Amino acid sequence: MSTVAKKALNVKINGKETTVDEGTVVLEVCKQNDVEVSNLCYNRKLKPFAACRTCMVETVVDGKKELVYSCTHPVAEGMEINTATEETDRYNKACLEMLLVEHPLDCPICDKSGVCPLQDNTDLLKLYDGRFETQRRNEPSIKSNPIIEFYLNRCIMCGLCVRACDEIQGVQALDFHKRGMSVGIGTANDEPLDCEFCGQCITVCPTGALMDMTSGARGLAAMFTETHSTCNYCSWGCTVKLETKKGEVIRIEGDENYNIGINEGNLCAKGRFGHGIIHNDQRIENPLMNVGGDFQEVTWDEALQTIADRMQATLNRSGPDSLAAIGSEKLTNEENYLLQKLFRDVLGSNQVNNLANIRAPYLNRFMLDCFDNGITSQPITKLQEADVVLVFNSDLPSEYPVGGNSVRFGTVFNNTDILIANPRRVVFESEAKVDVRLTYKHGSDVAVASRLTKIIIDNGLIDVNKAKSSIDNYDNMVQSLSSYTAENTEKLTGLPDDVLTRAAESFARDADRFVLVGNDVLDTGEGEEVLNALLNLCTLVNFGSTGSVSIYPPREHCNSQGVNDMGLTPEFLPGYQPGKTSRDLFETCKDGTIKFLYIAGEDPVQSFYKPQQVKDALQTVPFLIVTDVFMTETARMADLILPSSTYAEKDGTYTNMSRHIQAVASAVIPQGSSKPDFDILLELAETFGKPFTSSSITEIQQEIEQAAPIYKGAFPGKESKQWVPAASSKKPAFKTVSGASEPQTTQDGYPYTLQTNNHMFHIGGYSQYAKALVEIGPECIAEIHPDDAKAMGVSSGDEVVVESSSNKVQVKIKTSRVTSPGMVYIPKNWPKVAVNDLRNGEEGLIKVKVSKSS
Amino acid sequence: MDTNPVATEEVEEIDLAPTEELLNSLPDNSRGHLIPTLNKVQNAYRFLPEPALELLMEFFSVSRAEIYGVVSFYPQLMIVEPGKYIIKLCYGTACFVKGADIIGDKIHEKYHIKPGETDAGKLFTLQTASCLGNCGAAPMAIIGEDTHGTIDPEKAIDMLSEYKIEDEEMPVTEEVG
Repeated sequence: MSTVAKKALNVKINGKETTVDEGTVVLEVCKQNDVEVSNLCYNRKLKPFAACRTCMVETVVDGKKELVYSCTHPVAEGMEINTATEETDRYNKACLEMLLVEHPLDCPICDKSGVCPLQDNTDLLKLYDGRFETQRRNEPSIKSNPIIEFYLNRCIMCGLCVRACDEIQGVQALDFHKRGMSVGIGTANDEPLDCEFCGQCITVCPTGALMDMTSGARGLAAMFTETHSTCNYCSWGCTVKLETKKGEVIRIEGDENYNIGINEGNLCAKGRFGHGIIHNDQRIENPLMNVGGDFQEVTWDEALQTIADRMQATLNRSGPDSLAAIGSEKLTNEENYLLQKLFRDVLGSNQVNNLANIRAPYLNRFMLDCFDNGITSQPITKLQEADVVLVFNSDLPSEYPVGGNSVRFGTVFNNTDILIANPRRVVFESEAKVDVRLTYKHGSDVAVASRLTKIIIDNGLIDVNKAKSSIDNYDNMVQSLSSYTAENTEKLTGLPDDVLTRAAESFARDADRFVLVGNDVLDTGEGEEVLNALLNLCTLVNFGSTGSVSIYPPREHCNSQGVNDMGLTPEFLPGYQPGKTSRDLFETCKDGTIKFLYIAGEDPVQSFYKPQQVKDALQTVPFLIVTDVFMTETARMADLILPSSTYAEKDGTYTNMSRHIQAVASAVIPQGSSKPDFDILLELAETFGKPFTSSSITEIQQEIEQAAPIYKGAFPGKESKQWVPAASSKKPAFKTVSGASEPQTTQDGYPYTLQTNNHMFHIGGYSQYAKALVEIGPECIAEIHPDDAKAMGVSSGDEVVVESSSNKVQVKIKTSRVTSPGMVYIPKNWPKVAVNDLRNGEEGLIKVKVSKSS
Repeated sequence: MDTNPVATEEVEEIDLAPTEELLNSLPDNSRGHLIPTLNKVQNAYRFLPEPALELLMEFFSVSRAEIYGVVSFYPQLMIVEPGKYIIKLCYGTACFVKGADIIGDKIHEKYHIKPGETDAGKLFTLQTASCLGNCGAAPMAIIGEDTHGTIDPEKAIDMLSEYKIEDEEMPVTEEVG
């Protein structure tokens, strides 16, 4: 926090002197100083609660002794803290003893056994012989949802799950019910749990009352082998703990210990329960060769030799630039680096790219523009200390659920203001005192961002002269905003100016600001304009106000940032050193320029916004190689498929959307004869007769540090680091944004606009193979506003046909006030509902019509 | 929560106007008003109908789990429509010692209702209370609006029969009137 500096207080803990921030609770001081105090209901991510009464310590302030509960009692200047005195032990023991009266001793089959705070505390207090007669409860376990089992006999009513659900996740699916002896945690009327299935309740539960039903083994969690790695779903980059037993990944947990990763132990449904993709019957286990339309298993030697021969032949006949590669937003940095190295250094081709860059090359330019304007952005770990967070066109609980957790933490502990700008009324519950919702008309993103900028200037919310003197084209920018008057903007966005003004005032004040931009801006057709408008807004406060501003380009997958950092774009070599621009890859495939295409772990047929163009392109390419974990639509078109490994079977690093480079570590050996892409590329170069000089992950990392200086010293050991750009030599400049113009939102016969993004439980192609995620997110359900539904004569549960000018899909519908009138929302993660077909390559808002399915 | 299968069979249209009126009369939507509002809603309908609770959830921004957590904390708040007469049988120390539980058993024998349940005819709902503050007249019960002291199992059943007869006669008088 830039605005409030916390006072440091001197305290003495068990005789040892130390200083702590004002407002810290005594228990936290003990933990920071490695002094063990018994406790069961404390969690530093949650508000103090004091349910278990087992954390009593003795404090002495000004000679006055007090016995206090350390989890709620704040420190004071000169406080002496004494733990585990005869007196406190007596009280703490008595409370714990009563909890143990009812607690079952089924430890051998309990998921917390060995990592159980109740066991640890019993041991800490040397509480071996209880004085009370034991009276076990014997209620049946509740398995009314597919993921989380409630075995409430073990519950000690600490309330951690209830509080985590409310304060961390903002869902409040759990609460205490009844009272006294019959009190229990659960859902309303014991209805089946219907929530975001983040599983935070399982992590925080100190006793195994809540269990992960996706786990492949029951009990004795202490015997599982833990491997810390980085999640392979979205670009937030959470550290996960892969727990293995007998060579299999059993389950995934968050690690709540201090300074591990960027997520403080928080995970979402995908990250925690999406491990079903690792050991899976449907994986490709052997190389497959397309023989007249049928895929036949071949050996690795055969497969690699075929590719090497074909590479040589193509090189000889058509020259280096006829060979192309698509790198992957899901491969590690090291793998992506090797891929571009194979094509650039070995084959001499600059035809390397990645899908996000093919669609939106402006994302990288936007990031570099930010650097040039002095916005290098703080690490995402600082998000929870932000004063203001602007969430721009992102449905946070679906897109970056763990980002939402950090923001909520900020609202509880640091008074973070939240500004949510979205065309849908997205749900985001938090304790923010300032919570401005800008629910604007679909497609008017530029107007929202530009009007915010204009209000800041017009109302003098910043030091205008300072901004003006720092940036040459300030006047041009002001000029370009002139049409964004309150009246025009309200007409375009539907937002009254006082709401925008409140947002602008919060954003412009002296503050640490974070702007989280959703991938949805790409679908507006004005992605570049939107980002430029946001860049202007950020640049303005960066130069005209105090505090800081952080903004990251939208990135979708776990290594969408890294694939660009590694130079998987024709225009940039590794580390954004200038390369050569090149024509659209799929175009060059289609016109026959590309004769050999290597797609590493991507499925453009399914995921790219121009499915027909991709199909045409891949049909034209004479030789197509696809490496992937599962059979995909793209792989089906390949001449040769190579089975690659999942993230749990390989080593390397991913770079998250805030440029944190984090380790991926193998926890199990690859399934079947699949190999990490790293090994595939090494062996391919060798078969081709030009082996790479470096052959280990560490050696390649050293090579990357040489090739891309921004990565120098950034590869992680235990702690991860954000890479920092070199100081820019360019002068900061504003972008010119086009003036207010009426967007074309209606088209005859197509009265609705289509909004689509990743579902809360799915992302990319793999999550559909994770059993647990399919169970909680089984089918695609579109959303429309109840008023629209009424007008159409449809209701929740009906099947409708959504039709654009180029295609149509059939989908089940649900009415929801989250989706604005005039809009249809369809999550894009179900192959059966091919939303990209509705778009079919068209940029901009897609107009659709909806009719009841006959 | 105890759910009464008899009550759920009839789906009656609930008039939400009284709830809306109550919510509109509140100065703001702070949660401090939640419990008084629940009380007033219950006074209006004799119980807390689900659609009314949904309005409250939206108004106070509380989740389903939370509002039912509050409701289930107070036995007085009911989510199922009670019988015409609520029997509050005192289970306080004095009444219990004087055999309140035997009275409870007797009522169960006759009307097949346990504490928290409503009989098939929707006439009686049995509740137990911790202490009704009339220990001198233990064991005691409140039936509907009437207080009855120094009861015993037989007396209790006789009393209930009287309410039953009264109830059976009432529709006739209403029709005449």
